[in-house]
Amino acid sequence: MDSFFLYLGMGLFTLVFLCLYRSVFGPGVLNRIAAISAIGTKTLVILLLMGFIYNRVEMFIDISMVYALLNFIGTITAAKYLEMKGEV
Amino acid sequence: MNIQQIASIPFLLGGFFFFVAATVGLLRFPDFFCRLHATGKGDTLAVLLSLIGLSIYEGFSLTSLKILFIAVFMFLAQPTSTHAISRAAMRCGQEPWVKERSK
Amino acid sequence: MTSVTDDIIIRAVARIMIPFIQLYALYVIMHGHHSPGGGFQGGVILGASFILYLLTHGLEEAKIRMSEIKAGLFSSFGVLIYSGIGLLCLILGSNYLDYGKLSTILKVVPAQARSLGILGVEIGVGIAVMAVMFSIFFDISTGGELPEDEE
Repeated sequence: MDSFFLYLGMGLFTLVFLCLYRSVFGPGVLNRIAAISAIGTKTLVILLLMGFIYNRVEMFIDISMVYALLNFIGTITAAKYLEMKGEV
Repeated sequence: MNIQQIASIPFLLGGFFFFVAATVGLLRFPDFFCRLHATGKGDTLAVLLSLIGLSIYEGFSLTSLKILFIAVFMFLAQPTSTHAISRAAMRCGQEPWVKERSK
Repeated sequence: MTSVTDDIIIRAVARIMIPFIQLYALYVIMHGHHSPGGGFQGGVILGASFILYLLTHGLEEAKIRMSEIKAGLFSSFGVLIYSGIGLLCLILGSNYLDYGKLSTILKVVPAQARSLGILGVEIGVGIAVMAVMFSIFFDISTGGELPEDEE
């Protein structure tokens, strides 16, 4: 089961790199925000899988929860900034 | 391999499938709103399925309860942040993509 | 400029989430010696919840909950708790922040006094970090000028 988690984490890692393409080359700041949000979502699952591989889930779960929280607040902040500025 | 591990594998594989679908949508769709449509829906379902699978694998404990808390949190937070970005994009004057009509 | 803050969806979700975020921050502060976390991290999460309130409900409503003066008082109060516990150890005849001597006034064994002392210090650090984070964000969002200073 550990190797299954390992391969799943490697697959998610590949997906993170694919999303990184959109966040580097994506036209405009809005595409970049969407890509960073998607990367944060995948990282949350990767952290939990790492916890299961290392047998330290009760430690990684707190980090994962804080990561989800900060991802949400960061996206809201960027949206509010863009909306107040009124242009891209 | 007990029954919990076997039961968690379909959820994890389903979550991975939706992650792949959301990433393909983010890379291949033509417009910002279409990309946000792909990641907003696909990532929410993928995270939900992955976290449910992991909590089934963990069994009944405080840790699996916390994983379900993260699932509930993401179920609320992800659509809200998607809504916030798309609203900001509309206010910034982004035009939605339309298919070119052949006259 | 309250263009975002009149959005009903974001306001409602933030109003549901903020109490749970603050509860989780208190958990991180209190559970700091068994799991990752502690005073600083819990304070950051607590400050992030106030920042989320300011972002979603606007500056005027956030000032009712946590004004600039309150943030300054809380940051001073957190540092006071931290240095007060340290100085108390110094007065009782030990080193600065050496909690073993606190067992004479808490009437417990020294190991338990160390645990309680580090808990008190973490509470102080958490309050100070929360207030400082919020006041930094407050200063940035008001552009550095305080309206109540002008009268």
